[in-house]
Amino acid sequence: MYTDEVIPTHHSILLIEDSEEDYQTILWVFKKLAVSYPVYRVVDGEEALDFLNHNGKYSSQPRLPPPSIILLDLNLPGTDGRDILYSLKQDEKLKLIPVIVLTTTNSPKDVETCYRNGANSYILKPVNLERFLQMLKILLEYWFETTILLGDFVI
Amino acid sequence: MDNEPSLESLITSDNVDLTNCDREPIHIPGNIQPHGVLLVLKEPELTIIQISSNSYQHLGLHPTELLNKPISVILKKNQLNYLQASLKRENYENNPLYIFTLKVQGQVFDSLVHRIHGVLVLELEPSKFVKAGNSPDLYNHVKSMFSSLSSNMTVREFCQVVTEHVQNLTGFDRVVVYKFDDEGRGEVLAESIGEGISSFLGLHYPASDIPKQARALYMLNWLRLICNVDYTPAPLTPILNPVTAKPLDMSYSVLRSVSPIHIEYLKNMGVKASMSISLIQNNHLWGLIACHHESPKFVPYELRTACELMGQIISLQLSTREENEDFEYRLQIKEVHARLIEQLSMQENYIDRLLNYNPNLSNLINAGGVAVCLDGSISKLGETPDNAQIAKLVNWLSDSVTDDIFSSNCLSKEYSEAQKFKDISSGLLSVAIVRSQKHFILWFRPEIIQTVNWGGNPNKPMEISDDGERLLPRKSFELWKETVQLTSQPWLDCEINAARELKDAIVNIILLRQANELARLNRDLEQSNIELDAFSYIASHDLKEPLRGMHNYSNILLADYANQIDQDGKDKLKTLARLTQRMEGLLDSLLYFSRVGRIDFSVSVINLDEVVHQTLDILSARLEQDKVEVRLPRPLPIIKCDKVRLGEVYNNLISNAIKYNNKLKKWIEIGYFAPGEQTNSNQKLADYDNSYIFYVKDNGIGIRAKHLESIFQIFKRLHARDQFGGGTGAGLTITKKIIERHGGEIWAESEFGEGSTFYFTLHSRKLK
Repeated sequence: MYTDEVIPTHHSILLIEDSEEDYQTILWVFKKLAVSYPVYRVVDGEEALDFLNHNGKYSSQPRLPPPSIILLDLNLPGTDGRDILYSLKQDEKLKLIPVIVLTTTNSPKDVETCYRNGANSYILKPVNLERFLQMLKILLEYWFETTILLGDFVI
Repeated sequence: MDNEPSLESLITSDNVDLTNCDREPIHIPGNIQPHGVLLVLKEPELTIIQISSNSYQHLGLHPTELLNKPISVILKKNQLNYLQASLKRENYENNPLYIFTLKVQGQVFDSLVHRIHGVLVLELEPSKFVKAGNSPDLYNHVKSMFSSLSSNMTVREFCQVVTEHVQNLTGFDRVVVYKFDDEGRGEVLAESIGEGISSFLGLHYPASDIPKQARALYMLNWLRLICNVDYTPAPLTPILNPVTAKPLDMSYSVLRSVSPIHIEYLKNMGVKASMSISLIQNNHLWGLIACHHESPKFVPYELRTACELMGQIISLQLSTREENEDFEYRLQIKEVHARLIEQLSMQENYIDRLLNYNPNLSNLINAGGVAVCLDGSISKLGETPDNAQIAKLVNWLSDSVTDDIFSSNCLSKEYSEAQKFKDISSGLLSVAIVRSQKHFILWFRPEIIQTVNWGGNPNKPMEISDDGERLLPRKSFELWKETVQLTSQPWLDCEINAARELKDAIVNIILLRQANELARLNRDLEQSNIELDAFSYIASHDLKEPLRGMHNYSNILLADYANQIDQDGKDKLKTLARLTQRMEGLLDSLLYFSRVGRIDFSVSVINLDEVVHQTLDILSARLEQDKVEVRLPRPLPIIKCDKVRLGEVYNNLISNAIKYNNKLKKWIEIGYFAPGEQTNSNQKLADYDNSYIFYVKDNGIGIRAKHLESIFQIFKRLHARDQFGGGTGAGLTITKKIIERHGGEIWAESEFGEGSTFYFTLHSRKLK
């Protein structure tokens, strides 16, 4: 994945996903796609903010660099994905991280709200594993190989 | 007086009976009651030209000794002078006045004089008063009566006080106030009786009990006295007045002999003496103060004058008092009306409010019972006919009575069925609130007879069975009952108005409530749409999540565990994956269908031909693949519709036409009929002759007639899923919904095996 020209990075992915099956599927797809970056998973908004702010149960763990991208499910228990998005994009530091909404909901209202609140992409989870794999492949290629992320400069 | 019948045909006291008493000329009886003497004088000489035959008894002189003699025969010089002076001074025309107290042969007489038809009538009746001593007493009596009448008394209470005072003053055994209704029927309104005297209170009498000529006399003079019903009338001599050549008109005479019928009536009542005082209101006989005594009784002139004065003053008060009473009732109606309306606007179930709260409909208008009918359900209060009777009555009202307000105090006259419940409803006041819903309010009034308070014992057997029976008060009451059969108390104008006002108010409230209800329904609908929307997306997420899990896992299994699963297991996993996808398809269709029903359409003027060509472009690959010939007889019109949705309609219909065709040479025809254009004898098409009818026709497999309706049901399939390319089975349902939301209709015609035609209209009006 890396070429000599590219500065080695500390890329990582934060997955905010409550569904164990979806998480397992994503991991499976990542494996198929030979994703080598660390994938951190949290199950709800509170945990996500704790993780990102190094609070709560994460305060006792070694501080990690911020994730390169966040994959966000919208329908979450407790603090909803929409609210997390809003909080992330209100935070001076966290707003720098691209947020890719990855959800089942295709309501035009949700799509609009998410983009309005600063989502960087909106992806619908299909009931089709092959297509899902293709979508994630494109997504990762786009974010990690096509665009330049802030994480590219962190050594 | 000029057209009086000739003497020969006159009904007199000798030939009067019950059949002709209303024609008895009671003002010219030719007789007087014998307790006094009547003299008729010719002016100016004051010669006696007629005299009652009992002159000897009182004056010691026989008629023959007095006739054609000057009055000075019995008057002293100073009395004669006084009389002559008075005649010049006072107006005696039809106006009997006391002139002096006369002493003749040791007897004292009150002398009353009046002039009628050019002759002077002098009546002498025994005076039992020593004037000076009694006048203050009378004055005080009258005064005390008036002070005991208070302004807030009802007419009935007022009359009660009057009877007590009159009884007190005169000492009669029984004093009653008798009131006439508009038709002349009488009711004993108030009564004052001595010990052991039977009560007449509450009795009713037919109008015929008092003949009209008697009523006329009651209007002329305010007071009549019969001292002793057993009297022998004293005839006048001569019978005909020499000046007028007619019998003396005794309309104003205090001694006038009364009709034998009346005497009989009094005798039957057990009355020996009677006095009556007219109560006159606005030139109309309102009623009488009637006094009865069980033994002969003479009431001297002075006392009678006091009674007459009472009668006149009471008469003056009646109008105001009745108006007050009316006013108070009207006020009550207004107040109850206002409170009812107030309650109505607060209450959901206003019929319950109208009947079961205080005040309610029965407080608004005096009635025996009330019923509120709405769409066949009947709510009742008080005495009402039964439900079946009311239902029938309401049918009659809604079919045969055009006015919204109906009132009758003799319902059976118009609605003969009412005889069956006359006791409860001889009178009906009804308002149609909403005619189409058979929404009526009915007030019922009982037959008057049912409401009458009988003073005595109505079941007591008759004791007298001779001819006199007819003239018994009780017999008279029976007769009265016949005259008021099937009749209720009349409905007053203010009551009818109150009913009308109530109707208007209820209609307004109903309308307002319907408007509110509509607004509420709209809000609810809006809310439920929002909720449904939310539900749709929640469902799409929540139902799809496990579905996706199943799908993904079965695929992961297939990919990762291929070596550990045999072919049969792999096939089943594949089926599982496919089923999850089909399930997703169904969910999507369902969600889309629900959205098509709710989302706003953007209707604009669209060239339908473009829409069809765009659709054909989208479907071009399939059309080519299946080698389908598309026939477009002429360009489609420009029409108002939602472009995207119409595109979906054509997409669905054309896709189906491609799909369900097994012919070698397939074709699809897309066309329309302009309004009035189609000449098809088909009824369905004829119904829409005034609209555009669009169609998509194919030579496909066709649809059996029995399925022509059900093809529009959601997820309804006529073929196995794998046949004809599958699909969720929501396409036609969504199509139908789109058409219906445009205000049109879609239907199919088909010849099985030969092909189908789908017709649809937009914004159509069915011809019927």
